[in-house]
Amino acid sequence: MLQMFIAQTKAESLRIIRSPFFLLFSIAMPLGFYFLFTSLNGADKSIQSTTWGVFSLMSMTAFSLIGTAVSQFGIRLSFEHQDGWVRLLRLTPLTPAVWLGSKLVAQMVIQLIVISVIFLSAGLVHDIQLSGGQWISCGLWLWMGSLPFLALGALLGTLKNANTAIAIGNILQMGLAIMGGLWMPLSTLPQWMQSIGEWLPSHRYANGAWNMVAGNTPASMDFMILIGCGLGCMVLSVYIFNRREAV
Amino acid sequence: MTKAIECINLVKQFGDFRAVDQINLQFEQGRISALLGPNGAGKTTTISMMLGMMRPTSGEVRVLGLPSGTKELRQRVGALMQDVRAADGLTVREVLQLFRSYYRNPMSLERLFDISGLHADAKRRASALSGGQRRRLAFAQSLAGNPELIVLDEPTVGMDVEARGRFWETIRALASDGRTVLLTTHYLEEADAVADHIAVIANGCVVAEGAPERLKAQAALRTVSFRSANAPKEHEWLQLPGVEKAECYGDRIRLHAHETDQLLFTLMQSNWGVTDIDVQSASLEDAFRSLTDTNRSTLTKNSLS
Repeated sequence: MLQMFIAQTKAESLRIIRSPFFLLFSIAMPLGFYFLFTSLNGADKSIQSTTWGVFSLMSMTAFSLIGTAVSQFGIRLSFEHQDGWVRLLRLTPLTPAVWLGSKLVAQMVIQLIVISVIFLSAGLVHDIQLSGGQWISCGLWLWMGSLPFLALGALLGTLKNANTAIAIGNILQMGLAIMGGLWMPLSTLPQWMQSIGEWLPSHRYANGAWNMVAGNTPASMDFMILIGCGLGCMVLSVYIFNRREAV
Repeated sequence: MTKAIECINLVKQFGDFRAVDQINLQFEQGRISALLGPNGAGKTTTISMMLGMMRPTSGEVRVLGLPSGTKELRQRVGALMQDVRAADGLTVREVLQLFRSYYRNPMSLERLFDISGLHADAKRRASALSGGQRRRLAFAQSLAGNPELIVLDEPTVGMDVEARGRFWETIRALASDGRTVLLTTHYLEEADAVADHIAVIANGCVVAEGAPERLKAQAALRTVSFRSANAPKEHEWLQLPGVEKAECYGDRIRLHAHETDQLLFTLMQSNWGVTDIDVQSASLEDAFRSLTDTNRSTLTKNSLS
């Protein structure tokens, strides 16, 4: 059982790392936008009681992790259903729990790698004013905070048509990022976008990290919206999966 | 000895459509059996229920003495289904190793490579293989657990004659280890070439069953075709001596019979204006087609009774 779990986790991790979409959308694009924003605005220019170099680092890491969860987990799930891969696995002794569990573990390992790569790149290029404790706590917050987005990915993975999943996934990722204030700070957006944005899990996700770089703790609303969104997506996707099994 | 597979009054209903209708089947252990039938006969549906991927509407399937779909069976049964795409991002060797990790007692990697003939492609991405290679990889994946029972759904679709011959040899070698093999096919030739036992299904029912020799003898009908200027009602043809089946195409009539001497005598003596008589021994494929064909306007003794 353990051997099966390890082999499956290894295979799932390899599949993500070797995906060209992963390199492009989870690493290259967020890093590219990060350096674009910091050079446009000036990495040392202050914003929301910190600097653009730090503010945008948290937003773009959040943007990358949301994208990784939505596409590498969600869209992949939908494809594996459509291609009959899931049906094939159901004929083997691999249990659904081990399968999904190893996918989650693989995904979390990858998320940790993404955080390390983006933090390290930013730290090497810019002079980031963060204490060791802040680096670690922000990394941990972003890491654990990606779980609700994996649940969102699972919900997306219940879609039967993988092309629909891609379309919705892209809209979700971009919509959540822009409306959540990850690209431009929420305060610079029109009022109607702000009033929607502050309720989005993506905004709460980045907001927790912004609070920490400012020396505070994440707001209780950050926790509530992220946990609520995660649980909601999880319950809904489990319900849809089970209902489909019963047919 | 427990049967490898046992279907008891198996029924699968999809809305108004009955894909599998009261199938009773038994397949012995240690033999190669074939489920033969045209496309849409219910082969894949039957197999899916054997593998526990689909629940029967009613009836029961027992595999190796256990109810289908149990966890224990997944250790002991290997299955190759149609149309499964390879996982992207993994090499051939990685895919095989992954599948081997699922089983208590996997087949050696070496033998899986021998069977699939993919030694040279071990380091290639599975998704980069050609269609035929991918099919061979899928076959090797189904054997990763060193299964006692191997279920293959249309295994040779898309293979050329040479590949098909090699595949049959592999199947025989696997069976000679004491494994049970069940394959579906719509070619009699294929069933005849590898199977010890054939079950023919059409429209969700078993229409014939037995050793290939017995089936061939049973199906070896002759056909008498002729024109009739003054034909009687269609079902009257079936009253004639030895006639198993009658087909009418306008004034052209075709009768299938085991024995034609008496039939010809009767036809000549009748007042039906019989002309242009042609007697043929049906080819085996024709015989099976007539056995399983229900789309044309045909009458058989079974359908009347």
